[in-house]
Amino acid sequence: MVQITQYSSKDKMSSLISGDDTLLQVLACFGISLGFGDRTVDQVCKLSNVDCATFLTVVNFVTSGFSSIETHDHELSLPCLITYLRQTHIYYLDNLLPSIREKLVKATSLSKDKVGQLIIKAFDEYMREIKKHMDYEDQTVFIYVENLLKGEQTPTFKIKTYSKHHDLVGERLTELKSIIIKYTPADVDNYMLMSALLDIFECEKGLEWHCKIEDYLFSPLVLNYEQKLIKNED
Amino acid sequence: MKTRDTISVAIADQSVIVRSGMYTALKRLPKLNIQAVEISTCAGLEDCLRTQPIDILIVNPYFNGFFNFDCLQTEQDEVKVKVVALATTHTDPSVLNNFDATITIFDSLAKIGDTILKLINREDSDDEQETLTDREKEVVICIVKGMTNKEIADHLFLSVHTVNTHRKNITKKLQIHSASGLTIYAIVNKLVDINEIQAD
Repeated sequence: MVQITQYSSKDKMSSLISGDDTLLQVLACFGISLGFGDRTVDQVCKLSNVDCATFLTVVNFVTSGFSSIETHDHELSLPCLITYLRQTHIYYLDNLLPSIREKLVKATSLSKDKVGQLIIKAFDEYMREIKKHMDYEDQTVFIYVENLLKGEQTPTFKIKTYSKHHDLVGERLTELKSIIIKYTPADVDNYMLMSALLDIFECEKGLEWHCKIEDYLFSPLVLNYEQKLIKNED
Repeated sequence: MKTRDTISVAIADQSVIVRSGMYTALKRLPKLNIQAVEISTCAGLEDCLRTQPIDILIVNPYFNGFFNFDCLQTEQDEVKVKVVALATTHTDPSVLNNFDATITIFDSLAKIGDTILKLINREDSDDEQETLTDREKEVVICIVKGMTNKEIADHLFLSVHTVNTHRKNITKKLQIHSASGLTIYAIVNKLVDINEIQAD
């Protein structure tokens, strides 16, 4: 059957982006830079040292709207997926969120209402929470998996512990958004605030699918790996 | 994005048309805030149930032959997943009896919404939402002033346990977890004066 429902390694990399703008972030976080001319997905992945199957799985997962859990026959590279997820954290913590903060500061800077400053304070508090959560993933979850790949088991941790506790990030952002929508003083720079809010919506969406990649791709993959290890020991 | 109100739904059916149809129908119930995921294979269903906190599973009774309830056995401390039969053809009533509810292919959108609402047992309680009791307002004021639970308890002549309960209810009603968020709420709703807040 011709692959019409999914992108394949023979497709041109440029056609992916023109088809779906959310893939821009996927490419960036996989470490693939633009300017790939007419090269195919396979060629660009090789040039950028990215595991093509893993990249395509994420791409197809994103373009299908994350609506379905499929079982993947081909071997995915967990290290490659982890690199991608880590990079996504960096993108949010070091780029997107600080730029939203800057916009919020600009929007409220001329406001005489102190609530404006309190909103920045709330933003910072939420950012700390999100950072804490991402640090936990970077330092505990990913390290655990990396050890697992080396064949080292961590008796106190199982990937299941993690998947059930990780809706928090999105919750925090949603809460912040609703605080801004409900309680922003009237004398702020409205267009700037709108721009900040639009970025937050975007960020919220991005984090939502970041979490879905963790839940629907990463966790099951690790789970299967855990089971394989246990079987081998028996 | 996921919030406390989000209802996690998994849709398991072998037909892509039925799955996407159900998925789209659920998206058209914006007030219910449903996060749905489609599942087409048995392995996918197992993975999903093992790793995801699913509230409701909507499954074809003939999924993979006969839907097997054994795969739902979870650990004791976990909330039981509600299972809804997605009847796409005439289905023997004795089969449907095993399910918590049934959605048939001819159900109206309102009826589907109603079925889901009943299952999660969440009434549309508008009056309860966001309205704090006087006691809760007092607790908010204390939190905003930076008092610890112990200080709040002493100040209001309550036990620390009661203060905790109040805090939980406040968070639930306002959907605000952070102290800075509560501060904004308290100022805008004139519970405290902005000048009482220490700028730090």
